[in-house]
Amino acid sequence: MTAVDYLSLLISALLLAGIYAAMAVGMTVIYGVMKIVNLAHAGFLMLGAYFAFEMYDRFHFDPILGAVAALPVFFVFGMGVHWLLVRWLPKSDTPTLASLLLMFGLWQVLQNIGYLKWGNTAYSIFTPRSLSSIHIGEISLPKDKLVVFAAAVVSLVLLQLIFHRSWFGRSMRSLIQNPYAAQIVGVDDERTSRLSFGLGTAFAGFAGALLAMLYPFTPDFGPPFLLRSFVIIVLGGLESISGVALGALILAVLETFSINVPLPWYWHGWNSYYLPASYQPAVSFVLLVVVLLVLPKGIAGLLEKKWRVT
Amino acid sequence: MKSSSQMRARLCGIVVLILLAASLGTLAVQAQDTITVGVVMPTTGREAKPGQYQKEGIELAIKQINDAGGIMVKDKGKKLLIKEVFYDDGSDSAKSASLAERVMSSDNATAVIGGYSTALGEAESVMPDRYQTPWITAGAAATSIFSKGYKYTFGALSPIVLLGDTTAEFLGSLVDQGKLKKGLKIALVVENTDHGVDYVNGIQGWISKHPGYFTVVLNEKFDLGGTDFSGLLQKVKTSRADIFLSDAHLQDYITMQRQYLQAGLHHQVISYGARGPESDARKALGQGTDYILAALWWSDKLPYPQATKFVSDYKGFTGRAPDSWYAATAYDAMRILAQAIQAAGTLNKSKIRDELAKAQLKGSLLPGQVLKFGPNGQAGYPFLVTQNKPGDKVDIVYPKDAATGAPVAPMP
Repeated sequence: MTAVDYLSLLISALLLAGIYAAMAVGMTVIYGVMKIVNLAHAGFLMLGAYFAFEMYDRFHFDPILGAVAALPVFFVFGMGVHWLLVRWLPKSDTPTLASLLLMFGLWQVLQNIGYLKWGNTAYSIFTPRSLSSIHIGEISLPKDKLVVFAAAVVSLVLLQLIFHRSWFGRSMRSLIQNPYAAQIVGVDDERTSRLSFGLGTAFAGFAGALLAMLYPFTPDFGPPFLLRSFVIIVLGGLESISGVALGALILAVLETFSINVPLPWYWHGWNSYYLPASYQPAVSFVLLVVVLLVLPKGIAGLLEKKWRVT
Repeated sequence: MKSSSQMRARLCGIVVLILLAASLGTLAVQAQDTITVGVVMPTTGREAKPGQYQKEGIELAIKQINDAGGIMVKDKGKKLLIKEVFYDDGSDSAKSASLAERVMSSDNATAVIGGYSTALGEAESVMPDRYQTPWITAGAAATSIFSKGYKYTFGALSPIVLLGDTTAEFLGSLVDQGKLKKGLKIALVVENTDHGVDYVNGIQGWISKHPGYFTVVLNEKFDLGGTDFSGLLQKVKTSRADIFLSDAHLQDYITMQRQYLQAGLHHQVISYGARGPESDARKALGQGTDYILAALWWSDKLPYPQATKFVSDYKGFTGRAPDSWYAATAYDAMRILAQAIQAAGTLNKSKIRDELAKAQLKGSLLPGQVLKFGPNGQAGYPFLVTQNKPGDKVDIVYPKDAATGAPVAPMP
């Protein structure tokens, strides 16, 4: 491997991190405020992908515009789901079995609605941008992945601004830090939860629309992304937006480099050996276990601790 | 009050008994007048599309048989209609196995057709011998399924090892024709299943018997349903191979080929095993699938009158042309089963199994025009090699006697 190959890998990992961050951030918002592990996130991603497809197919919207249009639509949809289902869940500081089952059931319902509406055909959004890349020397930068990366960065910055500069963001943060104290000082728990669920769903729909630019999709779309979203938010810290970006970057770098960089392995007599590509999915599982054991509050928790000490 | 509630309970009991008797009566009539054939296929999940095509192939065959009056069963002294009992396994191995068990036990199917894809077929294949029910897979071909000594397991697809061998043999013929140079380097990237393992064995087996033709410089596996192949494709790039051979299922083929093109890769030959001409891939990638080679069990370009008739019947049945090979193998699996039931002259499952073992479906749609099962239960007819051409065209390019166009190699 030459230096250019390593640079090419690093760029691939960076672009992948953008995709991962976009798909995980909606889940973090919902978990942070409501302590709900949103298994229906995969269903929202799937609906977002079909939304972008329908906008492209019927109205010739560029998929990136479709993704932007998905934000308000899925925000309202998320608030509707909250009003109809989620608000009846018992309040808790930790994830409850009831919330897990409810969200799993909702995911199944959404998936079956998907099959009823779109059948089992693998849809794709094919634009003139789909197969083209920008070539800089030997390095190829796929245009679609660049667009998705830029959209992911913008969405994270936007969310960070909402979190820190708006009344709603302050309410969310106070609920994340201490829900009881937040209510004592007048934060409307019900309203903030509803808006947070809407926001999380909006970003899930947005991410689904972005993913539709890169992958074929069926109503079954979502589970591989769901697993990675879990890893990212556990790694980054379950309630931190910047932690999500960091978690996505770490996972993407590990997944990409683990199979391309020879490492000394015990069972190969400490000789340098490439990890087979079929072990790539195991990277996220191993990472999940290690982080839960060593850093149960994620990287954000570790940094917070360090800041407090200093 | 008491007597009225007793009366109501009695009435309810009578109604339940009547309904039970009626349903038992219906079952008895059905048991005599129909042959239950179980079909377990994925029509949702990752393998939904090929599973749906296979289901349609089976249903077309059943419709044609039933339209002709059914299957003559000698010990019943009459023709019986086929009744299909269908279950969708959702592309889930555990569900696939339990549904195969259900259709063989609770539904008491005379025979079962199922198991699209190696992973699902492997899961189902443990059930036939347990319930002594003939089972034919028209979509799983890994050697591992047919090497366990099962007696009730049959496969309408030729082995994957032969698929790999045919691909390598075809590439060798391109070298002999001077289209490719001798000693080219191959990168092998296959799915992490027995399907992928068999494919690699087929390629490497041919290369070891024909030294000097090709060298394998990369042999990697990937997980089914992958989302990011950029790291793996970087390995392919670094290997500096001349030929890129993958073995992938439909969704992985689409995702990988898209990322392959985005990475700016180019090889003299590209193949994704038995995937290539599918319409979903061509819609998703446009010209990005041009010149891809595929080794297939069937093509609608085969110059057999029965193949032409099948294409027209299938169009009439579903409203569209068959997409790749999926429906044809399933159609013939149902036809050979019907032939075996008729030859057995009974619905006794072990007798049907014995007839299946020696059955020969003449006038088969598949290459060679005869479908029969080998001693291990698996068919062994030759493969076709097709190539996608610009303008959504697909040509058979190998073997020569079935070719509808010349192979384009190296890729432009």
